[in-house]
Amino acid sequence: MHHLEIASLGCRYGKLEVLRNVSLTVAKGEVVSLIGPSGSGKSTLLRVLMGLTPPTRGEVKIDGETIDYGSSRCVRTVRERMAIVFQQYNLFQNMDVLRNVTIAPVKIKRRPRPEVEADAKRILAKVGLSDKHHAYPDELSGGQQQRVAIARALALKPEILLLDEVTSALDPELVNEVLDTIRGLAADGMTMLIVSHEMAFVREVASRVVMMDNGQVIEEGSPRQIFDAPTSERCREFVGKILRH
Amino acid sequence: MNYTFQFGVALAQLPVLLSAALVTLELAFLAFWGGALIGVAGATAKTYGGPALRRLASAYVVFFTNTPALLQIYFIYYGLPEFGVLIPAFIAVVLGLMLNAGAYLTEIMRAGFISVRRQEVEAAETLGMSLFQMVRYVIVPHIAKTIYPSLANFFILLVLGSSMGAIFSVNELTGTAIDISTENYRWLEMFLLVGVIYIALTFIASVSLALIGRFAFRVKAKVF
Ligand SMILES: Nc1ncnc2c1ncn2[C@@H]1O[C@H](COP(=O)(O)OP(=O)(O)OP(=O)(O)O)[C@@H](O)[C@H]1O
Ligand SMILES: [Mg+2]
Repeated sequence: MHHLEIASLGCRYGKLEVLRNVSLTVAKGEVVSLIGPSGSGKSTLLRVLMGLTPPTRGEVKIDGETIDYGSSRCVRTVRERMAIVFQQYNLFQNMDVLRNVTIAPVKIKRRPRPEVEADAKRILAKVGLSDKHHAYPDELSGGQQQRVAIARALALKPEILLLDEVTSALDPELVNEVLDTIRGLAADGMTMLIVSHEMAFVREVASRVVMMDNGQVIEEGSPRQIFDAPTSERCREFVGKILRH
Repeated sequence: MNYTFQFGVALAQLPVLLSAALVTLELAFLAFWGGALIGVAGATAKTYGGPALRRLASAYVVFFTNTPALLQIYFIYYGLPEFGVLIPAFIAVVLGLMLNAGAYLTEIMRAGFISVRRQEVEAAETLGMSLFQMVRYVIVPHIAKTIYPSLANFFILLVLGSSMGAIFSVNELTGTAIDISTENYRWLEMFLLVGVIYIALTFIASVSLALIGRFAFRVKAKVF
């Protein structure tokens, strides 16, 4: 059974059909990378998965259970099992690092604070931010903020982590510290769906690459297949353009 | 200048003036909190309300920010009795200041509402927060931090603005000083002293507001 199963998913903003017919599966422990030109619907797909944007048709299943995005109770369970990290970090500006990471487990999951804090400190150590517990987001670099955002997502112990271009807002010299964090997660066996334009990185960590265009999956396969021997014309063109840069 | 200052006479009135200063603070406090409630309602109407509600809130703000507060108080104090509503001067002044403050605070609060980042709210949502939790942990602290400096300034303005109570013989600081001066004729000394008390009041208010801002909302305001 697939861990995450997306079948014929559709989504529209008014008249604009952003997702046409997306089908995609992710197995436990797999790192799937979503690539595709700007506007192809990658972010929208992740937003639909997290219940931020309602799907207009299709189905999403986690461990074979169909998710009803119309029910807030169901959406809540989805948010317990999946977590997302955004391109712009979106940290809570009024909280320090430790509180950003602990607020959800303490206030939403009602776990005891000492236990959550110990957990959070361990996670922050893993993302290399042990010395920043009491810094506020506006006192951190972009790379540090993004690592806090990853820690915040991990603190909820999600089964699946969604990452949306988490390095594209960063200065080049800060990209690697964030990629290292994700490498570590992949090595730990975290199931991830990663939208990224870092092709070398995708090639290295992804077990599978899914190419989207115009709201559809147009090709998927191993990184080698997609990057070295794409079958569709559109994919070849996109990969060629990206690899040349 | 052959005026002989007699501060002793004025200073003898200090206890009376200090209790009048309390009335001043009381006026400012009541007007501020009442105005803040109106401000929250007004800003909510203007930001999230339907067209009718939005227009109503706008009309209120335009009217009360474009006419003198004094006139508004006159209206309440002398106007309401015409409709059979008799109210004491103190209440009339509080109401007038409150309605006036509400209009300004509507605009201040609205600026706060608008400044809430949609992405931060979405992040809260994906972490599983309920609407109530988002409001409590993310939205309100953000708004409070954003508008805190304007609120603090506005409170100071209200402390000074409450001197309008003098015209309606409310025994706040200015009114009390006028009353005493008409008896002892030491106008200059009395008003110098009252000026010093006002400065002390606003100074204490500014410092404590800045400290509250710094520790409660992380507002990096300079105390001076
Ligand atoms: N809130 C919205 N309202 C209307 N249209 C939207 C909205 N958000 C996205 N779109 C549109 O949906 C389409 C897909 O957007 P999406 O952000 O999913 O693309 P993407 O693949 O993530 O692109 P990028 O690589 O630039 O991030 C685009 O045409 C975009 O203009
Ligand atoms: Mg995107």
